[in-house]
Amino acid sequence: MWSYDQRQRLYLENEVLHREGFTQFTVYQYQSTDTYEASGTTSSSSGKLYTLQIPIPNGFPQARPPMYLTYPFPLYTASGTLVSSLGTVHDMHTLTPSAAGQVQICHWRDDRWHSGIMLHKVFLKGLLWIEAYEQHLATGRPLAEFVSTMKAAI
Amino acid sequence: MTTDPQQQQMIRDAMKAIAERRPGRSKLVYDKTKRTIVAVAEGAQTPRALNITADDADMFAVATLSSQWLNDHWPVIMRDRMLPVRFSSWDGGDALTQCDLGPLPASSVVGGTILLGEATVPPAGTELRIVLRPGKGPVSEGSTFIAPDGSVHHAATLRHTEGKDESLDTDFVDLQPELAVRRATLLETKVLNDKTVLCIGLGTGGGHAAIELAKCGVGRFDLIDPDRLTVGNVVRHPGGISQVGRYKVNVIRDLILEKNPEARVSIYPVAVTVENFETIRPLIAGADVVICGTDNRPSKLLVNRLCVEENVVAVYGGAFRRAYGGQVLRVRPKASLCHECFVAAKPDESTDTEISSAAAAEAIAYSDRPVAIEPGLSLDVLPIANMQTKLALMELLADTTSTLAILKADYAAPWYLWLNRPEPGTQYADWPPMSESYDEMTINRWYGIDIARDSDCPVCGDFISAVAASYGLDTKAFGDLPSLPTKE
Repeated sequence: MWSYDQRQRLYLENEVLHREGFTQFTVYQYQSTDTYEASGTTSSSSGKLYTLQIPIPNGFPQARPPMYLTYPFPLYTASGTLVSSLGTVHDMHTLTPSAAGQVQICHWRDDRWHSGIMLHKVFLKGLLWIEAYEQHLATGRPLAEFVSTMKAAI
Repeated sequence: MTTDPQQQQMIRDAMKAIAERRPGRSKLVYDKTKRTIVAVAEGAQTPRALNITADDADMFAVATLSSQWLNDHWPVIMRDRMLPVRFSSWDGGDALTQCDLGPLPASSVVGGTILLGEATVPPAGTELRIVLRPGKGPVSEGSTFIAPDGSVHHAATLRHTEGKDESLDTDFVDLQPELAVRRATLLETKVLNDKTVLCIGLGTGGGHAAIELAKCGVGRFDLIDPDRLTVGNVVRHPGGISQVGRYKVNVIRDLILEKNPEARVSIYPVAVTVENFETIRPLIAGADVVICGTDNRPSKLLVNRLCVEENVVAVYGGAFRRAYGGQVLRVRPKASLCHECFVAAKPDESTDTEISSAAAAEAIAYSDRPVAIEPGLSLDVLPIANMQTKLALMELLADTTSTLAILKADYAAPWYLWLNRPEPGTQYADWPPMSESYDEMTINRWYGIDIARDSDCPVCGDFISAVAASYGLDTKAFGDLPSLPTKE
């Protein structure tokens, strides 16, 4: 199922993740199903813990990998609504949630994704989303306002 | 109307000559004395007559049959002395075209019988009788058929309606030679007949390109598209309103066969996804050129990966939003930039795409930021499809001495840009009017642009080594595929 090039790429992704300082994230192989995911638990600047999970699609790297926030679960907006119930929403920078109801963070849309983008850049966007989410909880303002502010700082 | 058979035949010959704009053995005149139309021998002096031109002439109805089909069925005709044949009836019966000539019959079909000799009695209820009478030349007439055994036959077609027989013209056509003669001076038709083109995405542009290639004489097509033709498609797509609901692969297959009846066309109503790689990869590997007309980046990047891996040239076409312009990218694997190089080098241009369907809009919209479906006009998409077709032809004929060979230098660039209008809000908004400029970039002109291939491209370059080197990683270890941490 996985080509030699894809496996090479995934090994490289893991190495680059760690060399870029994203040691909280690792690329794992599920041996029983021969599938891959990149995942790990990280902390926000306020010290809260979040788990990000990127299941690797079998078309990777040409296919865009989704990024889910699996912990805390469930996740609520400032007004108490389930984030996953919002679906594909620009204000919260979310896409269709997983079948289990985990929030999918919008990092790149399909029309912007290309295989030169590496996973550490995706996780970086995940970390930015988490910081923006906490600002959203604190202020009630749309998460997108904070993401666009921080995007300029990347 | 005259009942003189000789005069009838002369009238018929004269009418055919007028219709075909050629000299005939007889011509039609209006005899002012008799106050009727008569046929006279070409060159005859007719001082009391008015010459009749093609514009004046009203033709007999005509029945058109394939001489090749008749050749193939000659043994049956010799055995049974008759053969059933079906005709599309067009324009109230003015034109009767053998159904086997093409894939799309008319809504009204008429049954007929080919009869060998006048003594042969047709089955009861036969509406149309095509009687083959043995004879001698001339063989240039459309109603003359030469059988495989060399015997010459003149056809007389009679339509039985309202208790009477009506004479029709008979026209035997030789499909392939007649189709090829119009393009033979420009294209290596025989070469193209042996070529295979894989068309992925059969919308307005991709469908048009496929049909244009069929007109040029390409002999084999593989067609991929998962969609059905909708009413909304019809104002742009080659398929018409009577085809709504059909898979686009079927619609385009039939239109290809209407233009090149001997083309071999295979259809695959599937999407370009990783799950369908097993279907798509062998088609790419077996193609001489791939035409990609899909409307989304993921499918283009997947096609690009497979084409590079299989070393097959691909030509990608796409319209900008509302088709204010468009672009064509030709990828010669490892020799020019690939689509992945392109999207990395030109992120804005590569994301400027026409939103012509709900699926395309959904792919970039948010529920709180909807994206309107804004297709462009067909006439603004077709220049892009025509360029795709031309570039594909150049590849198919690359090793020949075709007339197109002189264009090699003109089409050396990998990327081609076209604008239908200087769209406000784009980098092209300030282009000068076409009518005022001949030395600056304007609308309605193609621009070939050279972009270098990225040697570190993830698809056509050595991305792994480049990234590894930038992090000081030992690429030798990569070759052994070291294991990653595992989970259960």
